[in-house]
Amino acid sequence: MNGATSSPDQPAQSMPMWLEWMLSNVQTGLLLLDAQEHIAFANKWVLKRAAMRIEDIQGQALLSVFPVLAGSHFERALRTSIRSGFPSLLSQTLHPSPFPLYADDVQRDCKKALRQSIQILPMGPKDAAQAGQRFTLVQISDVTPNVLREGLLKAHAEKLSDMALIDGLTGVGNRRAFDESLVAEVRAAGRTGKPLGLVMLDIDYFKQFNDHYGHPAGDSCLRTIASLLRRICRRPRDLVARYGGEEMVLVLPETDLNGAVRVAAEILQSVRDLALPHAMSLAGPVVSLSAGVSAFDPVAPLTGAQLLQGADDALYAAKRNGRNRLYVVDSARQEIVPG
Amino acid sequence: MKLDELALDALTEIFNHGVGQAANSLSELAGEEVRLSVPRVEELAKRSIVDQMDKRGANRICAVRQGYTGAISTEALLMFPFEQSLQLVQMMVGDDVPLEQLSEMEQESLAEIGNILLNAVLSSVADMLQIELEGSLPQVELGLSSTVLCPSGDFDSTILSLQINFEIASRQIQGYLVFLLDLASSELLEKKLAAFIGALP
Repeated sequence: MNGATSSPDQPAQSMPMWLEWMLSNVQTGLLLLDAQEHIAFANKWVLKRAAMRIEDIQGQALLSVFPVLAGSHFERALRTSIRSGFPSLLSQTLHPSPFPLYADDVQRDCKKALRQSIQILPMGPKDAAQAGQRFTLVQISDVTPNVLREGLLKAHAEKLSDMALIDGLTGVGNRRAFDESLVAEVRAAGRTGKPLGLVMLDIDYFKQFNDHYGHPAGDSCLRTIASLLRRICRRPRDLVARYGGEEMVLVLPETDLNGAVRVAAEILQSVRDLALPHAMSLAGPVVSLSAGVSAFDPVAPLTGAQLLQGADDALYAAKRNGRNRLYVVDSARQEIVPG
Repeated sequence: MKLDELALDALTEIFNHGVGQAANSLSELAGEEVRLSVPRVEELAKRSIVDQMDKRGANRICAVRQGYTGAISTEALLMFPFEQSLQLVQMMVGDDVPLEQLSEMEQESLAEIGNILLNAVLSSVADMLQIELEGSLPQVELGLSSTVLCPSGDFDSTILSLQINFEIASRQIQGYLVFLLDLASSELLEKKLAAFIGALP
């Protein structure tokens, strides 16, 4: 508008001073296009953030001023709106930063594109008839702060939901995480026809360990074993959870009974290799585990409760037969045998 | 308004043309094929839409509302059961939307999706029936189907209703598009439809 020299129907020509002042100070981007998609007007908000001068862009084709818009969803939406006369909008979520607009702040060096929410408002048929052509107003809002705020809220919500599923002492899943995982994985195994392994583990003579070495040492022992379990069960869908007290449980998707037995055997050996002294254990001089293993066989599906009962029975058998060993549910022969 | 079979068929054709356009735009937006279909157009009492939603266990809905004025004035409402609106946004945006609530920004993306669909359908109506219309910007509303659809409790008034099926990457979402028309608009629509059918070869 500052000394614009374009055609006589430029809206800036006869603009009262207060209107010009208002358009310069409104805190949202205003861009007016004529029917040929040439820029008829851009307010100060846009010019500042695009680092452009009105005299350089007025009367120019929108796409030559902002070449990045060529082929964009904005271009499609603009064409559709101009043709139909219906307003449209471009959401930040689907199009973060259509216009090359940058924050006008002190950190000029790190140029961050503004997150934009855009509304395209073509003149309706009556106004267009009066104006002699269909002008279209493009209104651009900076929603960068909203995006940041939502990001923070989302991160917070994720943290809360993680916390609700994690055992505070050991950092592995809690009982709720296990319950949810077992239901979901049994369902998935039934659907995909793939096996599912379940391992229950118990630290041998843990009560005596606590009584002898003290609870802080007991806690530290639990944490050490939890992190060892996590190191061994590292596939993305494997779940390590604390079932209760000194009992841990593993949910191993796409793992059959033999696979689960191999994992359990490796764990028992690795825990012995840690060689954590346990003077009060009747199973050996160091901390050891007992394990019960069961598996979901797609040929003869079980419920989650049956799977859990099997692993628990096997664990009980391992403890009754001297601890520091693993027992397995042999579902074919319907018995519990040493693994 | 009492539309006969012929008129309803003509409307189904006009609406399908519109949703076809919308499907192209939405496919571009989603980066994968979005298929839309309008299996049927009906005239119903508002109450029966509310009942249909309730039967699907969806008494909470999410709606995109736009007003159109001109020779015909109508409010167009695109409605989804709440859960399905979340899924739709998830499919369009990608998978990182948590599934409990739509944030302000996600609601805006739903407004955009609704806007594309509603404008395409109304453009088709305006072009094919030669009715001049002006549109408003979309507004997202969340709430009970009865309060969104019948804010003044007029459960018995008749509306024009379309079921719209979305199919994206083999997942399906079902929504309803309804038009709230006043008497004068209904009469004009009937007339325009008759003229449209009369002009068919």
